[in-house]
Amino acid sequence: MTDSSPRSSAPADQTAANTQGIKIVGFLCNWCSYGGADTAGVCRFKQPTDLRIVRIPCTGRMDPLFVAKSLIYGMDGVLVSGCHPRDCHYAVGNFYARRRMEALKLFLPFMGIDTRRFRYTWVSASEGQQWQKVVTEFSEEIHRLGPNPGVGPRSGENSKISNGLR
Amino acid sequence: MLETDRIQLHKLVEEALPELDMMIGWTESCDPLQTTPVFIRDAKLISKLTLGPFCSQNLAGYLVKPPALESVPKDAKPIGICVKGCDSRSLVALIQEKFISRDRVRIFGIPCRGTIDWRKVAQRVGLSDVKSATVEDDFLVIDASGTTHRIGLEDVLARKCLGCRYPNPIIQDVLVGQVATPRSSSLETTYRDVDALDNKPIEERLAFWQSELDRCIRCYACRNACPLCVCQDKCIAETREPRWLTQRVGLPEKFLFHFIHAMHLAGRCTGCGECERVCPMDIPVTLIKEKLNKIMEEMLGYSAGLDPDGVPPLLTFNPGETEI
Repeated sequence: MTDSSPRSSAPADQTAANTQGIKIVGFLCNWCSYGGADTAGVCRFKQPTDLRIVRIPCTGRMDPLFVAKSLIYGMDGVLVSGCHPRDCHYAVGNFYARRRMEALKLFLPFMGIDTRRFRYTWVSASEGQQWQKVVTEFSEEIHRLGPNPGVGPRSGENSKISNGLR
Repeated sequence: MLETDRIQLHKLVEEALPELDMMIGWTESCDPLQTTPVFIRDAKLISKLTLGPFCSQNLAGYLVKPPALESVPKDAKPIGICVKGCDSRSLVALIQEKFISRDRVRIFGIPCRGTIDWRKVAQRVGLSDVKSATVEDDFLVIDASGTTHRIGLEDVLARKCLGCRYPNPIIQDVLVGQVATPRSSSLETTYRDVDALDNKPIEERLAFWQSELDRCIRCYACRNACPLCVCQDKCIAETREPRWLTQRVGLPEKFLFHFIHAMHLAGRCTGCGECERVCPMDIPVTLIKEKLNKIMEEMLGYSAGLDPDGVPPLLTFNPGETEI
């Protein structure tokens, strides 16, 4: 996960200048949402450009730690999208995912991470319009929230203990 | 009463030892406030076994951590083990996940009235020259440096014990001593530390974890002590492929490590508090898992380690859950 987005602990600012480097990572199921995003593209629906897509074989592959790591290391938003429940290509993958994603969603705020930066949703391959709606709404939300302040300095310069150990 | 329990334990172990490969229990340690695990094959050592409020270690981990799993012969005798209420839940969780089979262990269940956190005692009276320590009703009586201190039990019990709902073993072959009354019967008391933090604004929560986790030296003691952290050498906090974590000492690495530990225990953690007990930096790491336990209880009605035939909720699913 490389990172060049501006990082600041300043409160979220709605000005365009402050939200230009916004980066959102999307984990999309190969069998539906990835196809849905493709459909939206083929249909030439206008979509925000902040999203970086990672294709996964199934939302059952989604480790909650993918989301946690993205947010901890400063991704501004994480979107997970898969097949509608009961529509999974592998029959049950998204049933597992649903529990894991929901547990993570409830857990993130406890650690001080804004849970609004993470969203999971279900979009099928034919729902180009629905995909456009989901991604536009999520992108707008992240722009409202501004850059992700992260959990702290990356290298540990401001960290008391690590200075002591160096 | 403790003395009669101890005599009863010695008698039971003496009877059982010929049929056992080994007996795992606690024995007295360097000072009266602490015990240390002991592994008994020789009947002469049985008299060293002890139990009581200072037996804080969860012994269940020894059944699955190296070298325990190395080449167990098919006809191996069972292993005897002493468990408190919370330890027995770890055993149940390990049986659920088929890390140990029920007939491989002979369980000596010990009802627990709470374990003493020696750090809390050290803060109050210091640890120098402790001659004796006993629990009398709701007080810890310590004879240290020539004076006798009487401390309320609530002030020196381990944090996890204050909200304990399962002081009695969930499974056992024999029970040693009298059944104990739970300190808590409601979610509110059990999870009051979680709720206290949850009621703060999110910025304060982040600041809290930043200052707590900043002390983390990533010694992985919490992971090593956890009876359910069973990946061992394959732990993704240390593997190079996949490479989840670097050796950097920044806060993100510390956060991510604790996320890894917590998420891998989601729906499996039995709240035995070993991670917090062994933390050399005094970080309340169990609190992170408590929050996930609370989520599991509220969202899916599941508490880990209560049913040997159950399945951890994140390893299964229910198509009917339309609300989540």
